[in-house]
Amino acid sequence: MRASPLLEMRGIVKHYGAVRANDGIDLDVSAGQIVGLLGENGSGKSTLMKVLFGMVAPDAGSIVFRGKELSGHLPREAIAAGIDMVHQHFMLVEAMTVAENIMIGWEKAGRWLRTAEIAEMIRETSAGYGLDLDPRAPVGMLSFGQRQRVEILKAILRGAELLVLDEPTSNLSPPEINGLITVMRRLRAEGKGIVFISHKLAEVTAVCDEAVVLRDGRVVGRAPIAQTTRADLARLMVGRDVVAPIVRTDCAASDPLLSVENLSVDGPDGQHLVSDVSFSVCGGEVLAIAGVDGNGQLELVEAIAGIRRPAGGTLRIRTTDVSRAGVAARIAHGLSFIPPDRSRTSLVSEMSIAENLALRDVRQPPYSRGVFLSPRGLQAAADRLIEGYAIRAPGGRTPVHQLSGGNQQKIVVAREMDRGPKVLVAFQAAWGLDPGATRFVLEQVLALRGAGAAVLYISTELEELLSIGDRIGVMFRGRLAGIMRREEVDLERLGLMMAGTSDDSATLAA
Amino acid sequence: MLRSLPRALRIPSGAKRAATAIGASFVATALLILIAGKNPIAAFSAMFYGAFGSMDRIAFACNKSTPYILCGTGIALCFRARIINIGGEGQIALGGLGAAWVAFVWPQHSAFMAVGTALLAGMAAGALWSGLAAAIHLWRNVHEVLATLLLNFIALLLVGEALHGALGEPGAGFPQSSMLDNAYWLPVLATGSQLHLGIVIAVVVAVAAHIYLWNTTGGFALRVLGASRSAAIYAGFSVSALTMKLMLVAGAMAGLAGAVEVLGVHYRLIEGFSQGFGFNAVVVALLGALNPLSVIPAGLFFGFLEAGALAMQRQVGVPSSLVSVIQGLTMLFVLAALASTAQRKAA
Repeated sequence: MRASPLLEMRGIVKHYGAVRANDGIDLDVSAGQIVGLLGENGSGKSTLMKVLFGMVAPDAGSIVFRGKELSGHLPREAIAAGIDMVHQHFMLVEAMTVAENIMIGWEKAGRWLRTAEIAEMIRETSAGYGLDLDPRAPVGMLSFGQRQRVEILKAILRGAELLVLDEPTSNLSPPEINGLITVMRRLRAEGKGIVFISHKLAEVTAVCDEAVVLRDGRVVGRAPIAQTTRADLARLMVGRDVVAPIVRTDCAASDPLLSVENLSVDGPDGQHLVSDVSFSVCGGEVLAIAGVDGNGQLELVEAIAGIRRPAGGTLRIRTTDVSRAGVAARIAHGLSFIPPDRSRTSLVSEMSIAENLALRDVRQPPYSRGVFLSPRGLQAAADRLIEGYAIRAPGGRTPVHQLSGGNQQKIVVAREMDRGPKVLVAFQAAWGLDPGATRFVLEQVLALRGAGAAVLYISTELEELLSIGDRIGVMFRGRLAGIMRREEVDLERLGLMMAGTSDDSATLAA
Repeated sequence: MLRSLPRALRIPSGAKRAATAIGASFVATALLILIAGKNPIAAFSAMFYGAFGSMDRIAFACNKSTPYILCGTGIALCFRARIINIGGEGQIALGGLGAAWVAFVWPQHSAFMAVGTALLAGMAAGALWSGLAAAIHLWRNVHEVLATLLLNFIALLLVGEALHGALGEPGAGFPQSSMLDNAYWLPVLATGSQLHLGIVIAVVVAVAAHIYLWNTTGGFALRVLGASRSAAIYAGFSVSALTMKLMLVAGAMAGLAGAVEVLGVHYRLIEGFSQGFGFNAVVVALLGALNPLSVIPAGLFFGFLEAGALAMQRQVGVPSSLVSVIQGLTMLFVLAALASTAQRKAA
């Protein structure tokens, strides 16, 4: 229907070891078209975009952009050709103003910075697209949504013809999402092409012209939005793999292993990050908590793990009150914790696998005797866990940063599982992992549940939560909106609760 | 620099890097000597002779190295945990003051008790000073660089105050204490030599710090804290307790350096005896790649350099302040090498 193809990617193949991240993917974008790229984490979306930007070289396939072949190119060359990307993590300098951020690395800004002129240009362009940005505002003072607008404006001013938006709505509030959608429509009207990466079906159907669904590195569906439904897309995205766990125990039957009462966490300026959250989890049960990133989930798990001091509330492991206990004491009481950030929190990337496996238990045997480390104990434990958890590494002395994300997470999982915890708290435990590694993590969590532990599993990935949770809750603006049994879950209502628009969330709150 | 310094500390490796930095700084210094109209080869050979020319010269240089090794070891431990302690200067000064003060206030007659109490008092005084900086840092949220740096000035004034008052030698006309009793003099290692026990203490301390860093659970916690603060918290290590502990240990080592200087070299407390030691010890720690064992050769290098400098000044007429230039350039080259490695790693 639209004549000019902007981008044609053909038969893109990229393997990482045995994992086929991209397995013959075709992707077309025309001028004035918004293509939704759908898929779960690890389905190959980000690899495909890395190939497009020249961040990784494909094993096979070709890219034609505006009639010219792109191959062996660098990200810089992709941008010069007219492809730009707004990443989930912004590339902005907080201490500098909007205008300064836009001038960074921009040849047109000149050697001698014409700040006033550029500021005027920013003001005009941003007004034209409804972006509404003050060029003199320091980026550090801007909200998340405004920073994203800075990134979009940066791309527009640099003459991007194709804009890739990587999960742009995952941290936005509903009004900000509407604003973004308006901006996207204007860009489309200007004849720009947009690739909209998301796993939120409502947004994709609202704004896209066509949807391309990836699963396990292949295109499993491709349809104009007008001819498809959300349900179709959901089925394509998740595929055959969503199997509800087999037997559900009834929590009322046994005493809770983990109980949280009226837990509140305040931010540095007194804002309520977690407000009055109460729940309990029984042995052999997984409580899964959904929610858009930044609704207090991180603060909740950190307060439970003892890393963050709560403003109030009680935390019990079985019947022991551990509200005042430190991190080490909570570990000793059988609380394991998988935090979201592998690169800086749950692993020390420059230290060895053996040292990382000992990270939270180093004062216990076999890792130490008295105050002295036991190299033999470290090595023996590393050998055992590398074998037991199929960590692909040359040996215990290998520094962790040399491993893939999946193997890194296996180290964390091995450490937190091997302790034989009564309670496991996991937050985004499968974040950024390929499908195989994701499955591994989920299987391990389910095995632990089978062994009688209580699991609190928090993620932003709905499908992941539905495949693992016995009960599902939703966090919105620091409150636990409502916990329901897996069988009672209605996807539509869950989505509404995540957006905070559910009018029955009050009645649902247990 | 204060912001980039901790990041630069991430990669601790390399005798090669240290050697390159030293070599480059010598070349640069040779150029400076040439510009000054002197012969750099003659200057360097005078320097070499001054450092290694006789047993006496070597003993003198070893004594010079001792405070560098002691203080540098403590600083290396702190820096490795990303605690930027630049209060060595003040901690050394207070260590000297503590040792002299206890000697005059609570005189001992057996050499063992005398040296023992004075060294312990020096360590306690140094630890008090660094502990104060740590307390200000932890409870009042003042950056440790600022707290340790500013306390240096106060420490120097305290030493001056003591020497102009209670501890001053009556009628000396110079701010110094009276000579300490013989019992307080650090024993020499060989009769007829100046080489005192200090160098042995320094090597023992550095080796102990090495074992602590690499073979104990406390050293493990230190290394985790240095690599990632959030990982240390996640692992259940108390960041404030660790910070306090390391600062106390580093302060005690610096205080020991000050006490050794007073008991082994001057036999009295002199105003300004600690001049520049604390800052040079930072260079020594970095040159030793923050590895306690490597701090030993780095400290020896600085000690021998200074010993040689005096001879160079006497014989060739090149001012010994050029040695400060060599030291400064070495530091710059080491930091440049660290920074460029960090960049290459990030790219």
